[in-house]
Amino acid sequence: MAPLRGVRYPRCMPLADPLPGPPPSAPEEATLIDIRHVSRHYRRGVDEVHALDDVSLRIAPGRFVAFMGPSGSGKSTLMNLVSGLDRPSEGEVVVAGQSLGDLDEDELAAWRARHVGLIFQFFNLIPVLDARDNVALPLLLTDLGKAERHRRAETALRVVGLDHRLDHRPNTLSGGEQQRVAIARAIVTDPDLIVADEPTGDLDAKNAEATLGLLRELTDAFGKTIVMVTHDPRALRFVDEVFHLDKGLLLEGSDAERASEAIRLAAGGHASAGARP
Amino acid sequence: MKYAGLVLANLGRNKLRSLFTAGAIALAVLLVCLLMTMPAGLDRLISDLGSNTRISVHNKAGLVYSMPQSFTRKVRQLDGVLAAVSMTWFGGAYEEEGRVTFPNFAVEAEHVGSVYPDYVFTPGAVDEFVRHRDGAIVGRKIMRQYGWKVGDRITLRSTVWPANLDVRIVGEIADDNAPMLWINRTYLDETLKAAGRGGLGIAGIIWVRVDRPERVGALMSEIDEMSRNSESPTASETEKSFISNFFGSLKGFVTIILIVTALVSLCIVFIAANTASMAVRERSGEIAVMKAMGFGRRAIFGTLLAEATLLSTFAGALGVAGAIALTRALKTVATLGPTLGPLGNFTVTNDVVTAGLALSLFVGLLSGLVPALGAARKPVVDALREVF
Repeated sequence: MAPLRGVRYPRCMPLADPLPGPPPSAPEEATLIDIRHVSRHYRRGVDEVHALDDVSLRIAPGRFVAFMGPSGSGKSTLMNLVSGLDRPSEGEVVVAGQSLGDLDEDELAAWRARHVGLIFQFFNLIPVLDARDNVALPLLLTDLGKAERHRRAETALRVVGLDHRLDHRPNTLSGGEQQRVAIARAIVTDPDLIVADEPTGDLDAKNAEATLGLLRELTDAFGKTIVMVTHDPRALRFVDEVFHLDKGLLLEGSDAERASEAIRLAAGGHASAGARP
Repeated sequence: MKYAGLVLANLGRNKLRSLFTAGAIALAVLLVCLLMTMPAGLDRLISDLGSNTRISVHNKAGLVYSMPQSFTRKVRQLDGVLAAVSMTWFGGAYEEEGRVTFPNFAVEAEHVGSVYPDYVFTPGAVDEFVRHRDGAIVGRKIMRQYGWKVGDRITLRSTVWPANLDVRIVGEIADDNAPMLWINRTYLDETLKAAGRGGLGIAGIIWVRVDRPERVGALMSEIDEMSRNSESPTASETEKSFISNFFGSLKGFVTIILIVTALVSLCIVFIAANTASMAVRERSGEIAVMKAMGFGRRAIFGTLLAEATLLSTFAGALGVAGAIALTRALKTVATLGPTLGPLGNFTVTNDVVTAGLALSLFVGLLSGLVPALGAARKPVVDALREVF
């Protein structure tokens, strides 16, 4: 991908109505996210915290992956680096061919607007906007007119099954519905990458399953690459791959297998199926 | 423009708070606009009161010092002088012993009509005043205040001279802008002579009527030059300037009010800034999410600043409209009675409207600047960490 410096947003986002079907299968060796020897250190008072230490991994396009690990393991830090919200202290993060270290603050913001859709644990919808305007919010950063922004927001809401709740404000929606609106907001710009931070953390079991199912569908039906940070063992049944982190390190080999096993055991029946092959 | 919906939605988020903030700004702008009409209003008032061909001549040392009465005659001889009349403070108290409740002067009865041709007297008043040495001419306002009518006799006890004068009202100045009483100078002069005080040889103020406005400046110089080496050097000024000096202290008061208003406006800036800061703080989660979605520093800064500016400018426009409505109402009220007349002099001009709107814009920009900058400059990951 060409660097973004000095490039304006395109007149139209590629999201079509209806949304396109599955993309042609990517070559086996294709890589969307390439994390190269990344470390992230920061100071908290007098202490230096090593949130991530020499982590390297690759994620292919069209995959649904999870970062799992105990609190303080570095999974949220890694998610922030992948989504261009933070910068590594060392190493390089390359997403869709773009080295994020080459971009300044404003260019990084523009890059996120174009290439990343974000989903948060607490939905974080704007309470004074209805569902349609909440979903259309990221489209304010494009050159699209109001009518087209609304049309695309309605399409995205149809994808998540909420096209009958267009004019509802967040406080009139259930938690599950709010999360679906947040998912619609994340896909409305048709991003290369969807990043979800504990998307089931504030939902009951039924809505959590529905949300995970919806994310799975986005990968299966529309070829979206999804990176999810989660504690939820149910996620194992929906994701293609799990990256286990502990104390800032990426677990590999037998350590990773032991971590997966521990999650399966802790979850009982929830994760009986394990991660998808 | 595409952010207008977002800005308006955010302004409507806490309607009561927006209403109170707008109300405070509107009230401050209204107050500032009204006060800004005062200097121009006073100027108009002075213009209405004063003639541009009348000169006041008084002792250079101040109004409480006198000049020789003979100087009045010298002034009358000057080329370009149509008439001149001396006025001497009588300081007469009516009813309330020792207290002067209205200005009263001893004047040269035969000259007042020529110096004040613009005054409206009751028919025959000036002639009667000349004819009767105990006559008095009284301003309409005082006549009404005491319930006097032409023909009434009143006694004035002077607080300056050893003289109690029994005078007969022979006429009225039918003008509310002349709230004074004139007695005949000859009457006071003879009374003082009878009391063994040697008569009234002095003049307090000499009012001079000049034939053409363009000669006023030269004549003032000539009069002052004429008295320069005498015991009573004079200072001449136009009637407008003379009245303006009387209003001088009021203008100083207006300046103080304007300074206080500026300070009040500054307080409003702080209040509005506090409101804007609270609004930003309450929405820090949303702002963090917007930044995460890709809203850059300029977009965040612009929308937050637009909110504060829009609210403030809208409130300022209301304040300006309120000031216009109020001054128009005052103009209407001014027509209801002659004593209310001066209220009609205060007008919200285009300059005042511009200043009012500029003030509200300034309040908006200043109050929104700091919180908007703070929100825009905070790194996205720090903003997210603070709220999640």
